[in-house]
Amino acid sequence: MARVEIRKVSKIFAEHTALSDIDLVVEDGEFLVLLGPSGCGKSTLLRILAGLEIPTYGDILIDGKVATRLQPKDRNVAMVFQNYSLYPHLTIAENIAFPLRVRGTPKDEIDRKVKWAAGLVGIEGLLSRKPRQTSGGERQRTALARSLVRDPDYFLLDEPLSNLDAKLRHNSREELRQFQDRVRVTSIYVTHDQVEAMGLGDRIVVMSGGKVRQIGTPEEIYTRPADTFVATFIGSPPMNLVETGDAVLGFRPETFLPRDAFAADADILSVPFHVRRVEYLGGDRLLYGKVTQVLPETDVLARIPSSVACPVEAGEEVSFAVLRSELRYFDRQTGLATDRQHMAPLRSVSHG
Amino acid sequence: MAEARTVQPGDRTLAYVTLMPSAAILILLAGVPTITVFAIAMQDVGLGQTSGPFVGLENYVWALTSPDFYGALLNTFVWVFGSVTIEMCLGLGIALLLHRNFLGRGVARAILLAPYLVPTIVAVLVWRYMFHDIVGIVNYLLIELGVIAKPLLWLSTTKWAMVSVIIVGVWKFFPFVVLAILGILQSIPQEQYEAARIDGASPFQQFWRITLPYVLPVFILTALLRTIWTFHKFEIIYLLTGGGPLDATTTLPILVYFKGFVDFELGRAAAIAVLTFLILTALIAAYFLLMRRAEARQ
Repeated sequence: MARVEIRKVSKIFAEHTALSDIDLVVEDGEFLVLLGPSGCGKSTLLRILAGLEIPTYGDILIDGKVATRLQPKDRNVAMVFQNYSLYPHLTIAENIAFPLRVRGTPKDEIDRKVKWAAGLVGIEGLLSRKPRQTSGGERQRTALARSLVRDPDYFLLDEPLSNLDAKLRHNSREELRQFQDRVRVTSIYVTHDQVEAMGLGDRIVVMSGGKVRQIGTPEEIYTRPADTFVATFIGSPPMNLVETGDAVLGFRPETFLPRDAFAADADILSVPFHVRRVEYLGGDRLLYGKVTQVLPETDVLARIPSSVACPVEAGEEVSFAVLRSELRYFDRQTGLATDRQHMAPLRSVSHG
Repeated sequence: MAEARTVQPGDRTLAYVTLMPSAAILILLAGVPTITVFAIAMQDVGLGQTSGPFVGLENYVWALTSPDFYGALLNTFVWVFGSVTIEMCLGLGIALLLHRNFLGRGVARAILLAPYLVPTIVAVLVWRYMFHDIVGIVNYLLIELGVIAKPLLWLSTTKWAMVSVIIVGVWKFFPFVVLAILGILQSIPQEQYEAARIDGASPFQQFWRITLPYVLPVFILTALLRTIWTFHKFEIIYLLTGGGPLDATTTLPILVYFKGFVDFELGRAAAIAVLTFLILTALIAAYFLLMRRAEARQ
């Protein structure tokens, strides 16, 4: 168990800057998710934490001690790779035992720990098989068991679920979280899948272009995105953004509902919504269209639960509304979230 | 007309018909000469004849009771196992070196291939010159470095002739081993090493537990190919020493040549060739048995 601190870390490769000025603290026992599109630097950061790369600037501290230049083996870190990176010539048991064997652990202790780790992830029955004789999910568990077997101080996971099919991925996510709740080891998890990030993380770090865009709980990230990148990267479909003068107005598709759904005296922004297309998705309906008149004409999306009556047809124009408390404002130049007080003019516009 | 153009499902006639030309060429090129050798081995055939009186197993009896045959057999084993062992070790070592990242790696790899590309006759002539007892660079360097006190008679003593032949053989063919092993080294996923580093494996453990298991199948296969090819090798030895001095470098292929085209005893030459064939077959069978057992253990 350890507290991992990333101080002003930058990584510059020959041609491009992979990370710039990352500051981050991972608390002891926390499950932190690094989320971002591919090429955002999240994997580089993970490799720096593993000791596979050395940062160009900045330091890594583990439990307050500088570990920037420590070799991976001197960090007591465990890592699960995207393709699991099992040793194909060794059996599942030998794979799990590998970190102990190279350390010269006594044989009976290895046997005991391998059984323990295999039991923890439920692969006791596969110990004598070779990796190629097991399924993707079983390999992923083997990789997990291999990383657990020596009580690491912290745990790095590089998209460990991305090679699994959708159903298995869902189950594995559930298991992974339960498992972390049990062992409570500091975990840093890299993914580009926001659903995974939301479901797993105590906190999420949203990254793009080598920079940290926002750090927060899944709820904070979703409801109060720090900038327009986070607003559109998180959420499916993403937050609607409408440019108004020098500000950008944002609201989630599920908060954009027919005017009738709100009480008459609710503090809302009401706007005509010209619906272009209705998409039925089972649990929800997606309404594609554009806002007009009150707001500059912009394409937006509304997501309405199928349980809510909404007799809107494509081609119609209906009155839709958002609670003012659900509105988010961003600076048009920087894209950063701003205080709504500065947006007073918009209030008067919409009233008019 | 329509029926004539249609091939019924399951009808293999067309397949056989189209395969026939290639099959015929194969039989002509590989089958006929092989069978001819077996046939001639049971006849007494002289030069300029294509067949002779049937003599049964007499040629084999002669070969198996001839000290020449056993001498050549021993020479062949020394030549094959000496060359292949050194080639494999050197090839593995250099492949590992060339796999590392260093400045000029591309140039080094290209230069390394040179011996494999030089025509044998050119290579052998150059080596004969280098092995010369008085003006050769090999003796000059060894004396300058203080390894030997006086010039060695490389090609003209029974002791050193085999060593010389093996040196040239190894020099010519180890690049093949390097290429084969380098290929497999480059196919090992880098992540395996990263995982091993995180698991705490030392460089030696990484080599032993990752590199070697990956390389081993290719290493064994290359060793097998090199064994077969070296067994058959004729021109390097013939050009360098002519099988001498005093038959010290006469291997089985050289003996076949002498019997056939110097002594004009084609029947006996064919018998030796068939025996060589059988020995090699036994070697390959042993290899496959070993492979099978190694795979079962994995």
